[in-house]
Amino acid sequence: MKKLIYDIINKLNGQDIQFGDVRFTSTDSQTIFFEKKNLKHISKTTDAEALGIRVLVNGCWGFAGTDVVDVTKVDSLINLALSNAKHSARFRHTPVKFKAIKPTVGSYYFRPEEDPFLMSDEEKIEYFQNIAIKLNQNPSIIHSYVHTNFYRQYKVYANTEGTFVDTLVYDTMPSMSVLAANKNGMQQRTWPGHMSTRRGGFEVVRAAKLEENIDKIVKEVIDLLDAPTIQEEKADLIIGGGHLALQIHESVGHATEADRILGMEISYAGKTFIKPKMLGNFKYGSEHVNIYSDSTDPRGIGYHLVDDEGVPGRRVDIIKNGILMDQQTSREIAPQLKLEASSNMLASFADDFPLVRMTNFCLAPGKAGSLEDLIKSTERGYYIDFTKTWSIDDNRNNFQFTTEIGYKIVDGEIVGIVKEPTYFGITPEFWGACDAVCSESEWVFHGTSNCGKGEPGQAMHLSHGVAPARFKNIVCNVKA
Amino acid sequence: MQEQLKIFLKKIIADNKGYKYIFNHSSWRTDFLRFYQSQVNYNISKNSEQLWVTLYKGQKSLSFAISDPDEKKLNNKLTESYALIDNLPADKDFVDIEADPTKTEEKAKVDNTIELSLEDKIVILQKFADVAAKHAFKIFGTFICNYEVSTIINSNGVNKVSYNSPIMLEIKGVADKNMVTILESLGGEQLSSLNFDAALTSFEKKLIAGQAEVVDLDPGHYEVVLAPRCIGEYLSYLGSSFGASALDRKSSFFEGKENKQIFPKNITVYDDPHDSELVNFDYNGEGRKIEKLMLIENGVFKNYLVDNYYGNKLGLPVNGNDGSCLVLKTGDKSLDQMISTVKKGIYISSLHYMNFINVKETSLTGLTRDGTFLIENGKITKVVNNLRFTEKISSIIENIVEIENSSVVVPNSSNYGAFSISSSKMPHVKVSKFHISSSTKTI
Repeated sequence: MKKLIYDIINKLNGQDIQFGDVRFTSTDSQTIFFEKKNLKHISKTTDAEALGIRVLVNGCWGFAGTDVVDVTKVDSLINLALSNAKHSARFRHTPVKFKAIKPTVGSYYFRPEEDPFLMSDEEKIEYFQNIAIKLNQNPSIIHSYVHTNFYRQYKVYANTEGTFVDTLVYDTMPSMSVLAANKNGMQQRTWPGHMSTRRGGFEVVRAAKLEENIDKIVKEVIDLLDAPTIQEEKADLIIGGGHLALQIHESVGHATEADRILGMEISYAGKTFIKPKMLGNFKYGSEHVNIYSDSTDPRGIGYHLVDDEGVPGRRVDIIKNGILMDQQTSREIAPQLKLEASSNMLASFADDFPLVRMTNFCLAPGKAGSLEDLIKSTERGYYIDFTKTWSIDDNRNNFQFTTEIGYKIVDGEIVGIVKEPTYFGITPEFWGACDAVCSESEWVFHGTSNCGKGEPGQAMHLSHGVAPARFKNIVCNVKA
Repeated sequence: MQEQLKIFLKKIIADNKGYKYIFNHSSWRTDFLRFYQSQVNYNISKNSEQLWVTLYKGQKSLSFAISDPDEKKLNNKLTESYALIDNLPADKDFVDIEADPTKTEEKAKVDNTIELSLEDKIVILQKFADVAAKHAFKIFGTFICNYEVSTIINSNGVNKVSYNSPIMLEIKGVADKNMVTILESLGGEQLSSLNFDAALTSFEKKLIAGQAEVVDLDPGHYEVVLAPRCIGEYLSYLGSSFGASALDRKSSFFEGKENKQIFPKNITVYDDPHDSELVNFDYNGEGRKIEKLMLIENGVFKNYLVDNYYGNKLGLPVNGNDGSCLVLKTGDKSLDQMISTVKKGIYISSLHYMNFINVKETSLTGLTRDGTFLIENGKITKVVNNLRFTEKISSIIENIVEIENSSVVVPNSSNYGAFSISSSKMPHVKVSKFHISSSTKTI
């Protein structure tokens, strides 16, 4: 395959173009899904190949992609990309400017501790069937699932500047869920939560401790049925890492994707309340809030040698001591904002067009000690976790989230639970209310394999490193 | 699908009677233009060929997918699958795969990726850009043509081909001075029936409305007029309760409400995959021919969407519909009449980022987008910052007091998983009481 990529680059170098790049991906995935005690679905896709060619001609992008990778059709794919660029340039008043960068050549092959694609399917099924049966032993459980996805992608990226990089990565998403219902309604508990994808193989499943947490989620979902809701108009909230990862994702991560500033995502994903003039001076949060994008950390899913336009992995401070400093950018967008490209241009598969995407987008640890310490230092409030509902506006300014469960805190002790804790906030006000972030010991990567953006839509794999944090006086009594 | 592959699939079925097979083949391409600030962002040409295979042995099953399928790849996968399937646990609720032999006329459709060229699209977009510029707006959006040929072959004799070639234009006008956004869209499968000139006229009318003063609204309950795409989206979200799988999970709002009056008598909703104005689907994913299905008739809940599996499991009649062609029956008021009787209310053009808080109760939250307007004394007077609502869909429908006397086709692109375009046909509706829970303070 590398030879084919070299050949395409050579052909592109022979064309009258400003820039061209080629990507090839071969993706394997497997889904195992138990509904109640039944194996409802086991599916596998292996060696799903895709090829994409992007060219910049007359200041305009053209792209052609295919999942039918046929050496004899490469010329027509190149011509289609060129034709798209040339014709589209007629409706382009501001040509794309693209500064050359130094090429990168290299390889990165992640090796999981337990390769799920080398394990027998029988072994994996037996493992998850055991969980599925145990989830259903309590008669109050009316529905359950165990859902696991294994993913492996080999990628080659090359461009006309001389960059040539190939990578192999593994990601795994384990999850389980139980539903219970009574006259008060229906409640759900999941484990390990909404952002359960991690870099790795079957060892990620074992680390999730599914079996060890069955009794906990079964008890909690039954207790939730008769639990009260939050009654206070406002309360102090400690947000656990799993849900805080989503809070960062929605209200900071997407908000600081610079393509939104320029309106490139207005048609689907939306805009951002951030304006270029805010960079370097806008108070996005309290002094406890330090947020960065770091595609150089191999512990996270967002690690890479180069992004999908050849920019080497970078760590960029997005918010420093509460002040908005930088953005996630592309080579096209960064100079328009007087920034350096942040290595955030990525596509899900080779036949997708790259977009500004989060990589490892993290909240730096604070000094509040352990989660236990933070709870002890909270007079009254709620510790909430496990995402249930999330919604944020077109500008990433107004959000409302609901978690599956909240633990009521009085005088530093957990005294009970509440169901469907729902809170609302305006992004900078909310982050401004952050008065404590737990220390390094509580800081871990959470991840998703399903961050949607772009048209045609792409689901991206990415990570958020976080530790639990506390937010003061948050509106939390919102009901339909 | 190439004839050679089709013959091979039939031979597999004939030679292996101890197994049952479902072969779903799709050959698909798109020409996808994205534009922003009245210029091209990028144009994507993309093609895909996929074969999805589900293999059954009694009540045991597994699935796999092959890109760019050929006989060798398929044989390798099947060999691996035969070795595994005996060791899988059985699904005791599974009875049989689809056996409906009924076919529609297999007529190839015009390939709109060719019929509507990139050059043609740019000519159309330039007209919208020019009108927008006249009012100090720029255009942003997507102009999409797809073409897909789907073939389904199974061991119960199903052998069907369907064609799909939707066109979708979604165009937003964004004001240079304050980013007030308005939205126009049109779509369908017949290029000749798409009235771009009428859309341009409607677009300009919205641009003019979008130049009004921008105000904020306090949380509270308001009388609202919902644009067709909004009520279409609420009904689409209610699809999570229409499905028989939701009934099985005990998470359907309609559980225990079958054949009961649950909404006002003016509410009639059905799924009509053969409505000529909509993007049509002849068969569902299992190969069953789907027909018009009444979901809510004069406010009475009539039918779940029932596929083969859940029909067998729950003892419900199978219809195969999936709610991808929803139609809300029109009422007796013009849009002007509906607005004219609102003393203080809101016109909502589009919705954004909805998510259920409690799916069984149909409670959800979400936001307005792309044109929220204040109605005062029967007239649209101002632009309103985007608003958050926290509501039950059931309450919204219960509070529908007026329905427009005409409807429009609302195209919708599905952006997660396989990319597809579907559509619904919806009129405006007036809702007497609608809960705004907060303002975004932004446009």
